[in-house]
Amino acid sequence: MAVGTPQTEVLRMEHITKQFGSVYANRDINFDVRAGEVHTLLGENGAGKSTLMNVLFGLYQPTEGDIYVRGQKVKIESPSQAVKLGIGMVHQHFMLVEAMTVFENIILGDTRSKGIFIDQNARKKEITELSEKYGLDADLDQPITELAVGAQQRVEILKALYRGCDVLVLDEPTAALTDQEAEGLFEIMNKLKGEGKSVIFISHKMREVLRVSDRITILRAGQTVETVNIGEVSGEELANRMIGRELKPSQYIKADSSGETVAVLDHVSYHKNSKHNGLNDISLRVHRGEIVGIAGVDGNGQSQLAMLLTGNIAPEEGSMDLKESKVVRFDPNGFIQENVSHIPEDRNKAGLVGNMSVADNLVLKTTRDKRFSDGNGLHLKKKAIRNYALEMQEKYDIRCSSVDQESRNLSGGNQQKVILARELEASPDLLVAVHPTRGLDIGATRFIHDTVIMQRDLGCGVLLISADFDEILEVSDRILVMFEGRIMGEYSGKNPPIDEISHAMAGK
Amino acid sequence: MKRKGIGALVIVPLLSIIISFLIGCIVIAALGANPVDAMRYLLKGSFGNVRNLGTTFSRATPLIFTTLCACFAYRCGVFNLGGEGQFIIGAIIACYIATKAPFTGFPAILLCAVAGAAGGGLWAAIAGVLKVWRGQNEMIITIMLNYVATLLMGVVYTNWLRDGSVPQTVAVPDETQLPSFFGLRATVAFPVAVIAGIAIFYFLFYTSSGFQLRAVGLNMTAAKVNGFNVKRYLLMSFIVSGAIAGLGGALELLGTQLRLINGFAAGYGFDGVAMALIASLHPIAGIVVAIFFAALRVGSTTMQTATGVPTSVSDIIQALVIVFTVAGMAMVKLPEFKNRFARRARKEA
Repeated sequence: MAVGTPQTEVLRMEHITKQFGSVYANRDINFDVRAGEVHTLLGENGAGKSTLMNVLFGLYQPTEGDIYVRGQKVKIESPSQAVKLGIGMVHQHFMLVEAMTVFENIILGDTRSKGIFIDQNARKKEITELSEKYGLDADLDQPITELAVGAQQRVEILKALYRGCDVLVLDEPTAALTDQEAEGLFEIMNKLKGEGKSVIFISHKMREVLRVSDRITILRAGQTVETVNIGEVSGEELANRMIGRELKPSQYIKADSSGETVAVLDHVSYHKNSKHNGLNDISLRVHRGEIVGIAGVDGNGQSQLAMLLTGNIAPEEGSMDLKESKVVRFDPNGFIQENVSHIPEDRNKAGLVGNMSVADNLVLKTTRDKRFSDGNGLHLKKKAIRNYALEMQEKYDIRCSSVDQESRNLSGGNQQKVILARELEASPDLLVAVHPTRGLDIGATRFIHDTVIMQRDLGCGVLLISADFDEILEVSDRILVMFEGRIMGEYSGKNPPIDEISHAMAGK
Repeated sequence: MKRKGIGALVIVPLLSIIISFLIGCIVIAALGANPVDAMRYLLKGSFGNVRNLGTTFSRATPLIFTTLCACFAYRCGVFNLGGEGQFIIGAIIACYIATKAPFTGFPAILLCAVAGAAGGGLWAAIAGVLKVWRGQNEMIITIMLNYVATLLMGVVYTNWLRDGSVPQTVAVPDETQLPSFFGLRATVAFPVAVIAGIAIFYFLFYTSSGFQLRAVGLNMTAAKVNGFNVKRYLLMSFIVSGAIAGLGGALELLGTQLRLINGFAAGYGFDGVAMALIASLHPIAGIVVAIFFAALRVGSTTMQTATGVPTSVSDIIQALVIVFTVAGMAMVKLPEFKNRFARRARKEA
């Protein structure tokens, strides 16, 4: 075990570039870790944090760039090789065998035992020593299923330490923890530091980043923004650099609307105590002819808000009005009948049937319509469907080799246009759009924004949920900020107070 | 792109059949017989004359029903492996009605068919209810229900409907047997099976409900988000697929087997699953595949009599066709394969 002085460099990643097709997930990233420090990788979802760590852990091969471990240039081709080099990783989703005990999980894949038998007592003694040293209390004979999330995480850390790691990667470790459990984790991190181990801490939660880090490297859009020492910059400054806001005025005319409401939430709660997957006492209204933007770091209840507004989940407390009448039954079909359109968060999973053609996906909801079938769906008019699809292909600029092409073979932007065409041709009264431009290029993004604005001007109320702050500023007429399931504030979309909004996004 | 996809769905089974026959020929040659002769008799035995053709169609009929049963359920993403149990339940009910009903002839036949289908549908609905409302794995439940059905049939032919001291049921009365064509083995059950296949094809591809059912099968989340009643479609696919198998069982009893006996329908369920997969879940293709397999089975007897090549060679060929097709389909779906294909296509363009 290499215990170095605090300044010894144990790991360096130089000019790391990782390309997927034509997309750069990482571009020329430099990153280094010293012994006995907590080095935070800070960045929004999709900034390239996980890709970089997967490169480090041998799950991906970098397109370009080198990795040095203790000054030696290495090529990490598999996780087992990473483990041999002393790199341990605790994934966001734990990699534990639930039916096995803590002990069995820790020795899983252990290569130390010679022969076919496991010397249980010796192994257990070793593990107990480790757990005492780092304050990682765990009952070795308990099955994983009986453990709380925090305890499972300790098992993961113990597992990594048992395999002799010097550099421990923690991928969003606090996402699933309660505040108390998180405190416990921070103590463990301190002990690790004290023993000369290094921790790479991945997070986008400003408060805890400022608490535990020694150095912080900010990633944005796959590139390193900079590496700073703790104390050099304020939390707000960090947030601004992470989001990378550029002050450029919106090119759209912002609307003012206070007329008829299309959707009203009145003190709605859903899984109230879950900070990242729940809604806590939300009240909001969407009027005809306006775009309400929901800003906030991803995973603060936005998904649940969208599911609720489209009838996919029912609130546990509070009530919802749709077009000025109370919703009694929460069911997606009922909402569709009420002219609610939905651009779902995950276009492949929830938006499209990938193995069906573009044409089929365009008429997915409307095959019973007189235009597309006789006798209320008893005979599909294949030709009418095809002609309609061709018309939509033209109108929404869907680039595909044929409307008979399977929709999963389309690029993300064109898939999104298929969904857009389907949802907007229903002339909705309420449109719930979740991350509508995630992963799209500038052209497609622009097209989608233009189309949504046009729909707004036709009198549709739009609720736009996006983790892309620029997008929210660009198109919203009103901006609400969500944090840990609550609405932190409401701001006008005209000359929005950007500093205040970024404060609110950090939960202040 | 789409045309290419369909091409693979036809080419893979065809290539698999050719390779399987080549291997079959090698086996035959190794047995010391002339492969060409053996193949000729195999073909002659199944398609050589009208009588043999009738026998092939007769053998194909139950397979068509179980194949359609699997096709329908799988299109909705439901892995109904219980075709055999549902088939048997249909046959048991038909057997009761045919032997106990106070009337015979066409009314009895009609009642047998309807009640058999209903019975098969209800039998499958047990698994459907457990899946939809209790989240139980339908593969395990349907397989287990196969055993229950088989054992239930055992009780029927050894106790309740036993024919004297013989462990089999009494035979279906002559008037209630299905009419056959020109004294051939094939009965009206064969055209009924073909019509059922065409009806399922129409339902799946030309009606809104069929379209939605397929969407549920391909992407349940998207179907739910887009407002489809997913539970209803899942349950419906269980019941309809079970009814198809149940109808098959009833007609097989009335047309060919005439009585329940040990071994009735053994293997039909899984045969149907394999054939449905070879047919890429296409009902019309399923009919063709079922006839092809029936031909191999019927022709092998002629081959054995004429050339001394044992019928098990035909079993080997059938098994190889399944293995190669399933492997081939999986290979076509591999990303490396697809990329190479796409790259070549781009180069040509």
